[in-house]
Amino acid sequence: MEAFAESIVGGSLNVWIQATYWLWPIMEISHFIGLSLLLGGLLVIDLRMAGHFRSFDPTVTHRLLPFVLIGFGINLLTGILFFYGDPMRYSINIGFQIKMGLVVLAGLNAVFYYWKVGPVMYCWDANTPSPPIAKFVAYTSLALWTGILLCGRLIPYVGTG
Amino acid sequence: MFATLETTELATWVAVSLWGYPIMLSLHVMGLAVVVGIFSMRDLCLLGLFPGIQPFAFLGLSKLGWVGFIVNAVSGFALFASQATVFITSVPFLVKIACIVAGMVLAGVIQSHLRIEAGLSDPSVVISKSTRILAAISLLFWLAAIIAGRLIAYIF
Repeated sequence: MEAFAESIVGGSLNVWIQATYWLWPIMEISHFIGLSLLLGGLLVIDLRMAGHFRSFDPTVTHRLLPFVLIGFGINLLTGILFFYGDPMRYSINIGFQIKMGLVVLAGLNAVFYYWKVGPVMYCWDANTPSPPIAKFVAYTSLALWTGILLCGRLIPYVGTG
Repeated sequence: MFATLETTELATWVAVSLWGYPIMLSLHVMGLAVVVGIFSMRDLCLLGLFPGIQPFAFLGLSKLGWVGFIVNAVSGFALFASQATVFITSVPFLVKIACIVAGMVLAGVIQSHLRIEAGLSDPSVVISKSTRILAAISLLFWLAAIIAGRLIAYIF
């Protein structure tokens, strides 16, 4: 990752981000809006998947997914721009490295949801007990995203890895 | 008063200790995700963006939103105490606090509207126009709170 980071330094995108003083706060604000959409949608979907808040119809909570994906898209884009703006800081930061690892795991967990859990939830009603596999996917998702939030917030405070 | 607050044990722990400030910031971002996440999903639902999802379902989940708010009131107070004299003169900080107060008052009002409308004969059709307007205003307050909160670090 360090070699990739070094190749970015001095490139046109890197120089533009560093020279545009108002861009960084706008990217940060967008990143926070993105995380609110992402986590807000996932809280509803995952908590219902785990069997809580049964007043939500389990066959329709997936309608929140587009907003989860919009939130993720905003944060992927702003995240790439953060990296391009300050590559030597992020590439060697242990908080950033763990965060990226957790994002990959959350992605795999989401694929597993689409494959195994989502299709089954269409047959649930308000009283269907949540099967262990659904609880596992839901709590794994919430735990991973909590970790991602923590690692991201701690990037300025942890050392290099 | 604010200078005194900065000298309290809590304030000096947050300001001086290695982990005090990052721990409070971590709690604050988790609380933010819960508060703004849940209330913005409720508002978007009331505005009709999730066909099929009953806005009344958010009546129970809103309690979790209040838990997030308490986490952020506590962690936010600790962060504030560490630099009280700086924050109290920061315009973005004051705007942020005003937006949060407005957002939480609206959360209470929307909750009571939803309770009344859920009790009506056919809850699938009745979300009043006034409740939808409150949801739109609430969404704007949370957006403004995030923008103002981030700008605290940039506008002195």
